[in-house]
Amino acid sequence: MRKKTVFQPLVGLLCLLLISFAGRAQTQKVTGRVTDDKDQPVAGASVTVKGAPAKGVTTNAEGFFTINAAPDAVLVVHSLGYQAEEWAVQAGKIPSIKLRAIAKELNEVTVSYGKQKQREVTGSIATVSAEPLQDQPVMQFAQQLEGKVAGVSVMESSGQPGRGVDFRIRGAASFYLSNQPLFVIDGLPITGSINNINPDEIETYTVLKDASATALYGSRAANGVILITTKHARAGEAKVEVNASYGVQSIPGNKVPKPMDAFQFATFMNERYQDMQTYEGYTGAIPTEYQNPSQYGAGTNWFKLLTRSAPIQNYDVTMQSATEHSSSTAIFGYQEQQGVLINNGTKLFSGRINKDFTTANGKIKMGVNIAPSYRLDHNNRLATDGVNGYFERFFEASPLISPYNPDGTYQRNVYSSGMVAYINPLATYNLTNDDYKTTRILGNVYLNYEFLHGLQLKLNAGIDKGGETRNYYQSGQVTSTVGNPTGTSSSVDNGSYTAEGYLDYKKTFGEHSLEVLGGYSAQKFSSTSNTITGLGFPNDDIPYLSAATSVTGSSGYSAYSLVSAIARVNYNYKGRYLLQGAIRNDGSSLVGSDARFGTFPSVSGGWIVSDEAFMRRLKPIGFLKLRGSYGVTGNNTFSGYYSAQSTTSNYYYNFNNTITQGTTIGNLGNADLQWERNLQLDLGFDLSILKDRILFTYDYYHKNTDHLIQTRPLPTASGYSSILDNVGAISLWGHEFTINTANLVGKLRWNTSLNISVDRNRITALVAPGYLRRNNTVTSDYYRQQVGHPLGAFYGFVFEGLYKDATDLANSAKYQATATNPNGVSNIGTIKVKDINGDGVIDDVNDRTFIGDPTPKFTGGLTNALSYKHFDLTISTAFDVGGQILNAAKWAYQTNMDGSRVPLAAALDHWRSLTNPGSGVYPRTLTGTTAIGREVNSQWLESASYLAIKNVTLGYTLSLKANSMFNSLRAYASIQELAVLTKYSGMNPEINLSGQDPTSGIKVDEEGYPIPRTISFGLSATFK
Amino acid sequence: MKKLYILALAVLASSCSKSFIDLSPKSSYSDANYYQTTQQFSAAVTAAYAPLTSVVTNDYLMSEMRSDNTIYQSLLSNRGTAYTDREALCEFMDASTDSYNATEWQYCYQVISRANIVIDRLPGAGAVPADSATHFDGQCKFLRALMYFKLVRLYGAVPLYVHEVMTPDAAFLPRSSVDSVYAQITSDANDAINELSAPVSFPQTGQATKGSATVLLADVDVYLKKYTDAVTLLNTLPGMGYALNANYGDAFTPANKNGKESLFEVQFLGGTATGATPNPLLFHFLPRSTSTALVTGTAINNTSTGGWNTPTPDLIADYESGDTRLDASIGIAEGTYNASYYFTYSALKSVVSYPGPPAGKVAVPYIKKYEHGAVAVTGSSDDFPVYRYSEALLLLAEALNEQGQSPLTPLNAVRTRAGLQPLTETDQTALRADILHERRIELAFENKRWHDLVRSGTAITVMNAFGVTIQQEFTYFPVGSYVVTPDKLLYPLPQAEVGLNTKLTQNPGY
Repeated sequence: MRKKTVFQPLVGLLCLLLISFAGRAQTQKVTGRVTDDKDQPVAGASVTVKGAPAKGVTTNAEGFFTINAAPDAVLVVHSLGYQAEEWAVQAGKIPSIKLRAIAKELNEVTVSYGKQKQREVTGSIATVSAEPLQDQPVMQFAQQLEGKVAGVSVMESSGQPGRGVDFRIRGAASFYLSNQPLFVIDGLPITGSINNINPDEIETYTVLKDASATALYGSRAANGVILITTKHARAGEAKVEVNASYGVQSIPGNKVPKPMDAFQFATFMNERYQDMQTYEGYTGAIPTEYQNPSQYGAGTNWFKLLTRSAPIQNYDVTMQSATEHSSSTAIFGYQEQQGVLINNGTKLFSGRINKDFTTANGKIKMGVNIAPSYRLDHNNRLATDGVNGYFERFFEASPLISPYNPDGTYQRNVYSSGMVAYINPLATYNLTNDDYKTTRILGNVYLNYEFLHGLQLKLNAGIDKGGETRNYYQSGQVTSTVGNPTGTSSSVDNGSYTAEGYLDYKKTFGEHSLEVLGGYSAQKFSSTSNTITGLGFPNDDIPYLSAATSVTGSSGYSAYSLVSAIARVNYNYKGRYLLQGAIRNDGSSLVGSDARFGTFPSVSGGWIVSDEAFMRRLKPIGFLKLRGSYGVTGNNTFSGYYSAQSTTSNYYYNFNNTITQGTTIGNLGNADLQWERNLQLDLGFDLSILKDRILFTYDYYHKNTDHLIQTRPLPTASGYSSILDNVGAISLWGHEFTINTANLVGKLRWNTSLNISVDRNRITALVAPGYLRRNNTVTSDYYRQQVGHPLGAFYGFVFEGLYKDATDLANSAKYQATATNPNGVSNIGTIKVKDINGDGVIDDVNDRTFIGDPTPKFTGGLTNALSYKHFDLTISTAFDVGGQILNAAKWAYQTNMDGSRVPLAAALDHWRSLTNPGSGVYPRTLTGTTAIGREVNSQWLESASYLAIKNVTLGYTLSLKANSMFNSLRAYASIQELAVLTKYSGMNPEINLSGQDPTSGIKVDEEGYPIPRTISFGLSATFK
Repeated sequence: MKKLYILALAVLASSCSKSFIDLSPKSSYSDANYYQTTQQFSAAVTAAYAPLTSVVTNDYLMSEMRSDNTIYQSLLSNRGTAYTDREALCEFMDASTDSYNATEWQYCYQVISRANIVIDRLPGAGAVPADSATHFDGQCKFLRALMYFKLVRLYGAVPLYVHEVMTPDAAFLPRSSVDSVYAQITSDANDAINELSAPVSFPQTGQATKGSATVLLADVDVYLKKYTDAVTLLNTLPGMGYALNANYGDAFTPANKNGKESLFEVQFLGGTATGATPNPLLFHFLPRSTSTALVTGTAINNTSTGGWNTPTPDLIADYESGDTRLDASIGIAEGTYNASYYFTYSALKSVVSYPGPPAGKVAVPYIKKYEHGAVAVTGSSDDFPVYRYSEALLLLAEALNEQGQSPLTPLNAVRTRAGLQPLTETDQTALRADILHERRIELAFENKRWHDLVRSGTAITVMNAFGVTIQQEFTYFPVGSYVVTPDKLLYPLPQAEVGLNTKLTQNPGY
């Protein structure tokens, strides 16, 4: 066992720093005045003699003060919102002390375990202020961050209300483990979902990207960290702010798949049967419903019946008040989003109370943050997305059939002759009820105690507590087995607590500054759950299990824990040469029993070149800092908390009608399973030109992730299908550019923010056989992870059009050809693919290859903000250029040439004969030949490039200085998802199979809940 | 003082950290604290039996529908691989990527893996009394032998796992020769015979017995042409209490399960209680329909599960006149197919002297052997036979005949029970054909026919000839169906397995 600790040396160091100070004597009265940089008096400022902080006075309304002080004393003036100033008492000189206001946020940024001056930061971090984003009519803060930060990819892969948005920082790539960054809210690493967080509670986001910035989060930092700071009132503030917005969402119509209508489908099927008569010796009749297509019009438009325009609304009130020693913020909100598909939506009630207290001498700072929320999800977690998802069904049901029986009840079966059995999707949506109720409490208390000058003890304890119940009922009219109504009731109680304690010591020796931090952290998550399922409901009257005649269920408990020691040293010389070292030692219950402790060190350095004498001649350059870092972080975000252990499962067998429970190993453990390790180099610079009119940041990063954890497939002959194992390594590297410019600064102000990321990756090692398949089919084995290839590289046949004529057929390789059946299942007018191994036969094993790459050339976002007098206008865009997308939904399902599902109208133009070959895109309907069209091939690939106009907001602000009630009033109109400019023929070029997980199908479109366009109007008022 | 506090805190934190992160599951066992008591080993043995239900609900595709006994119902409206993969097994057009082939392989090996765990861990379990340990070991050796016998006949040389897999590396084994697989089977079956007892009473418990192991080893011996050994083994069975039921159909009724004719059967139990394992095969074997109510009582929609293992005209014609087994085994469903290839049942008829369907209807034969009245949506309580005493008699007949002795006593015992006249044939070659024919009829739909054709050396001629006929009778078979070459006598190893485990080689022709 390798168990390293960093405790002993740390303790020694901290103890050496316990130094005490002595007092002084001999005083006289000193009178002076405190003003701000506009020479206005500062009232209520605290004036003390240095070294005797307990004996202070405050300034009066005119800024004057009188204090007893020794002739050589130094006065210290504090006032919140200003930087502290010192004044050395000199005989005969009246103190006139000027305070400089603290420019907000940008001077100090939140970093892991504390704050740091922005200029002294040596890691790669990005800060985003939440305020400009809050006009966006969305429920998830993730949506607001799309395209805002270089290296941070946010994609909306599904439009399910309140769901479906994921983050990925620098292409974070773990095969099996989560790729979500770690979210830390006010210092508390959260373990639950981020969907329950009201965006309006947030003040700033800090994105930690490189290993030095994230090092103190050690084993959880491999995917980057997003620090969220919620709103805390600043001294002097006292206000009430009300925000309200209401919007209407609708599905942008231009990319909705256009399936055949009734006339077209009847025509298609009629032709199909004619062709069967012509080519296959079919002697039966054409089914009655297809004999006369012209009798039909458009028929049933399932999509129209199942979609709608839906409201989204958001109301919240923020109350803030703060004095020098106490600050209170209370925020309460209500958000509601109805789905653009019928009968689903989500509601969120949220609250947050942040209280901070400081003792009179400023030595003790304590606070409490508590944020309860309650969420009601109605049907928005139904499986809408993917193959066999509810949404896909909208396009495939028969347009020839009415959803209703003549008596107005739902018709169950909505398939026509030759189609596979379809259950009425309208009835399914209306007769299924799936409600989740989620209660979540985020809370923490902290104590900062400066018990010696410069030495602070910091304690932080928090909880992330969740409780969720689910009530599901599906009417027997629409269950897959007729008349088998099913109900489920389940609940889960989960949560984590975190406890941290550390010491922070700051000291300046001449031109040397030092900050040392060291401490411990412990976190434990546990979950208790139960599920019961009921069958045999007599009718649909009572949709609760009390009406079920048969009930089965189970319950379970699981937990994981993490214990850590952390240490960090920041040193700088002259504020110009910066150095940081950090280390975290983590012990986790999740990894193999023989590898539970891991150490994650990092170093970084910075050089503020612009402070050097030789740079002063270069006037336009206001600031230039070079940065570099290298470090190790880890990843241990398992979904199964005991996956590294061999655990038992129950298997039943009946011995002569006696139910007998069997128990044996169900999950094969791996005692040698190690942490996934991420070694990252970052080099970058920050540059400011023309008095901050142009700010430019560049970063290069190179990450090597090794010991990649993956559920490694095992030969099933072993009795197991997989084991969690360290399977390989991957390299990721890229360049990130961020430029912020103030283009116009006069009456008309215009700011532009552009960020571009160029990210690449390559798999560098994998266990035998050197690749991992998605699955063992040829229909949905969309990609293959293989050494030397990027993640998610598409894999399949190479499309070569249709066999044109007999000569073409004779001269080309044919699918599944054999000696006795030389044409296999190919024929003139069927799909021809490339014979990769050149053996004259197309087969599934040897003729599939890498056909495309989802990796974009570059991604980014561009935001323009303009203001003129009372008006402001913001346009946010996000773009992705150069990758490919695999349109599986279109080819595998929506162009089924067997007529098993209703195809796209475009497929009417298919091959019928040598003289009527169609456009050569859609093959013939010959029985037994169509399968290859549903097997992954290069015809499915399209460009995934897009430019999305994510948001346009126009606002009008009334400044009401003279008004007795309002400080300001602002009205705005906002359009979310205004347009997506793309050549992609599917609905959503941002789609992924499994969220942002780059290892389970990035840029594979199996159809998902559509992303709505939202037009909304809002009003915000600040009361005096 | 402060220094002391901090030091104390540090020591405390580092000492409790190990236990803080040492978590084991609470809602299941980990292997570190399981496999200790008799009750736990008993449960581990039960778990080894459990995948047998999956094996037999898949095996008919590999061992019966491959033969001349059954075919499938056409479903041209759905060409998904869930259907084409099953059809291909019937048509001899299966590729190594066939998912039903992979399922068979996986479940057979799952039984083996769970048996290995028990066999390996028993010697270290001090708390288990010796007689219990012997009983557990015997059952697991029987299960392991039974599954390797299935595998070696389907695939030839297969990887031989005889120890518990505990690391990733141990999961990758090469194929072992057919001889070494048979050596393992013989050794395991012998151990099982020695360790297990004969049935205490009938109906039996459903666990493997000395009788189960005896007939298994005798079957293996007949395969390996060790006829003397087979005769010796088979002659011990009557002494254990086994005998034929009065009627052929009795062996298959749920009320009669584990009776005196049963040497080993896979246990099923219908219902929705936790742990019930309903038998869905009835739905698999009926024509696809949105309602099978006419057969099953309740309206079952088997459009996605049904349409398989349909008895062929060739089989029906092979029943001798007056054979009571025909009516017990096969029924006729009359009705109509719609354009989506779903069947609407109009009447059920007896197959005996069936005159053909009325105008406008089609007649679809279906397996009646496992159909016993109304069932629930999830399936029935019908067990699935693995070895019956009548098969032991036919094995005995075969072993005697191959040694030049008269097989007529055991052979005629089976025939007379079926209402047929005893045979008087004395020619060895003619008798060989008679015994094979008798096995076809007696053991129809019990997943024996394909193996019988292969071991008798008749598979290629019989199946090619059958293919010609059947494609004249039914036009939905694709071009190239039923081309039976010597390579087709073994199935391909599942492609996923060969792709993953580079130590494996593929069978020729795939």
